[in-house]
Amino acid sequence: MTVLGETALWTALPIALWGTAVSFAGGRTGRSELVLSGERTAYAVTFLLLLASVGIVAAFVGGRYEYWYVANYSNRELDTYFKVAGLWAGQRGSLVFWTLLLSAFASIAVFQNRARNREFMPYAAGVLLAILSFLLVVLLFAGVNPFERLDFTPANGRGLNPQLQNYWMTIHPPTLYLGFTAFAVPFAFAVSALLANRLDSRWIAVARRWILLSWFFLTLGIVFGMRWAYEELGWGGYWFWDPVENASLLPWLTATAFLHSIQIQENRGMLKVWNMGLVAATFLLTIFATFLTRSGLIESVHSFAENLKIAYIFLGFMGATAAFCAVLIVHRLPSLGSESRIQSFLSRESAFLFNNLLLVGIAFAVMWGTLYPLITEGVFGQKINVGPPYYNRVNLPIGLILLALMGIGPVIAWRRASRRNLRKNFLLPCAAAAAVLAVLWLTGVRHGTALATFVVSAFVMTTVATEFWKGTRARARIAGEGHLRALRGLVRRNRRRWGGYVVHAGVVILFTGVAGSAFDVAQVHEMAPGETAAIRSAFGHEYRLTYESLSHSRPRASDDVPENDWRWTALLTVRKDGEHVAAMRPERRYYPVMEESSTEVGIRSSLLEDLYVIPREVDFDSGTERASFEFKVLPLVPWIWFGGVVVAFGTLVGLWPAAGAHSGVRAPGGRRRAPQSAPSGAAGRAA
Amino acid sequence: MTLVGGVLLAAGILLYVLEPVLSGRSALLYDGEDQHDESAARRRVALAALRDLEYDRATGKVDGEDYERLRAELSREALLRLGPEAVVAESPAARASQALEDEIATIRRALREGLQCAGCRRLNEFGAKYCGKCGTRLHASRAAVAAHGEDGERP
Repeated sequence: MTVLGETALWTALPIALWGTAVSFAGGRTGRSELVLSGERTAYAVTFLLLLASVGIVAAFVGGRYEYWYVANYSNRELDTYFKVAGLWAGQRGSLVFWTLLLSAFASIAVFQNRARNREFMPYAAGVLLAILSFLLVVLLFAGVNPFERLDFTPANGRGLNPQLQNYWMTIHPPTLYLGFTAFAVPFAFAVSALLANRLDSRWIAVARRWILLSWFFLTLGIVFGMRWAYEELGWGGYWFWDPVENASLLPWLTATAFLHSIQIQENRGMLKVWNMGLVAATFLLTIFATFLTRSGLIESVHSFAENLKIAYIFLGFMGATAAFCAVLIVHRLPSLGSESRIQSFLSRESAFLFNNLLLVGIAFAVMWGTLYPLITEGVFGQKINVGPPYYNRVNLPIGLILLALMGIGPVIAWRRASRRNLRKNFLLPCAAAAAVLAVLWLTGVRHGTALATFVVSAFVMTTVATEFWKGTRARARIAGEGHLRALRGLVRRNRRRWGGYVVHAGVVILFTGVAGSAFDVAQVHEMAPGETAAIRSAFGHEYRLTYESLSHSRPRASDDVPENDWRWTALLTVRKDGEHVAAMRPERRYYPVMEESSTEVGIRSSLLEDLYVIPREVDFDSGTERASFEFKVLPLVPWIWFGGVVVAFGTLVGLWPAAGAHSGVRAPGGRRRAPQSAPSGAAGRAA
Repeated sequence: MTLVGGVLLAAGILLYVLEPVLSGRSALLYDGEDQHDESAARRRVALAALRDLEYDRATGKVDGEDYERLRAELSREALLRLGPEAVVAESPAARASQALEDEIATIRRALREGLQCAGCRRLNEFGAKYCGKCGTRLHASRAAVAAHGEDGERP
């Protein structure tokens, strides 16, 4: 199976190159047989990459340590599901996985548009196949072939990094990759629209759902990564402004900007060049993320620092793509003119524009901070890293303004709004914000940033709730429906708008959770069994943790396979305000094959806060069983995960096809013709 | 065995990809209804903007002079965008736009001109519970307006 996988990988490259050539040639000359051949190539490459991936997984599961990649990222002791996840555990396999996902999305896009949007398809397929060809060239010729053999067969592999031996390892990377790779499809449609000079609203209608899908996966991937860091890295945080974290945030920021700015293009025919630029920038940033993760150019907990050759190849590709897009956009400038102008500062388009500038501003700040070590090394010969203080200082104020805009934008009418109406509409949200400020101030909250976040959050939440209430009431009144039915009808009539509001609510909840970190409490205790430590949370609860015992175990997968890790498990009982609430079992682990140790923290979540126990050191050998623990009470952390769920739900509401969206009519020749773009197009906006 | 498998695989894939070129089998190059699509999309944008305005009015974001001015502006733009081909086209998209237009007209009538009394046919102010002429309760006629204009999902 592994040899077949290797053959498939080698076969995929010439096929993809052929597909790229015939797709562009077919689009240029109008020869439909070439176009069809190009489209079939997408399916063929997907099939071949699937075989290659299965080949890699088979090598992992079968313990084929003669392969360099398998020998370096697994060992006999590893659980099977981590062996399967070995496909994306290192640089080589993750590039194959990335390419597989991209080809799968390319195939879906080709299949979805086999009878519609045909003018775009030759070039769109060509662009997707060109990207696939590039990735295959990298895989086969840049020294990162996952099927490369060693000169000898080791008896066992080196094992998987302990930090990756966590179930999030099987969830977080694939989700993020789905987000990155899905964005290639809207990019392909944008380039296709430029090449075919079809720059009306069609390409946006086609691309928008793909962008939302990509955004959905990117958001989930980022939140999953935060959760992974929170559970596995054992410092009680979830975001460290690590270069690779930043790399995932950058395309998310620009994609978010795009999702807002296309509404201006759809409504007012404005910002066409800006939108093209945002699509190209977002795609380049997804490639930048690949480049950063896989080049090892910037040190990060995520980087697979293997060889720098790949970094220069990626840089070259990004430069060429950026230049190609810039030339295309400049060439098509006459077709990208604005159809109208912003009439007033007090208008929804103005708020959207401001939101775009802020999102892109944050993206620049994050990009600058991420590349700063490279810049300082180039200029001063010494790498200087900027840490979280830089990012927090720059991004917190901008983030707060963005948060406030989420409450302001929906209330302002398109084109122009009168001050009188604004005063009327903002009265209730401002009153709610003032009430929250008063309550928090009276309860002794004095942390400036946290106060500002809570107050702005109250403002936005009230706006969102008021929007739902007013919309439901108006519909119930006009249609003579009950309120629940009216709400359902309201959302179904315009999933994009109301899904967007749910996303805003989720972001507010998430931000509130992050602001809770201002009130973290932490203590370190060295304890012997039977001793108790107390810690008081910001909400006034007192936790008393009693260290009961320490146990040692060496779990085995089977009689034949030695243990992967040795575990020292502490047992702590927890009383909250005098009442027994939990038993926690944090662990220290040692991985004998890799000679590394790790921490498995104990987490006890409630609605308002997490109790977080980090076992720093344990002394088992001397018989005293003394241990050193760090106890933390982290307010509102559960809100971050809940906010993520709400954001995902809102995005799904926006993504859900409108009723009747699949009821296409048959095109001549028995093919299914797609419905016109009404549900996904501009008409989908009206409430 | 593996070698044979690999060769067969490569040959099969090659045949699948090259078959259209060898046999002359073709793909669609144009979508028949594309020609009307842009004008239909613009028409929908214009009409949806009008409906958004009605929504903004119903939820108190726009009123009075602002509403009248914006409505005149949007109506003018909508008329400009409604080319003759869009009116003539009897495509599903055109029918969808027609349904949207009907709905807008109904809502606008309900909001601006009031509800029609089932007894005396008088158009009452929006929000009125009883007819201003004959005193008939307006519940029935409101339901009739709702059934006519808001009776389901957009096609």
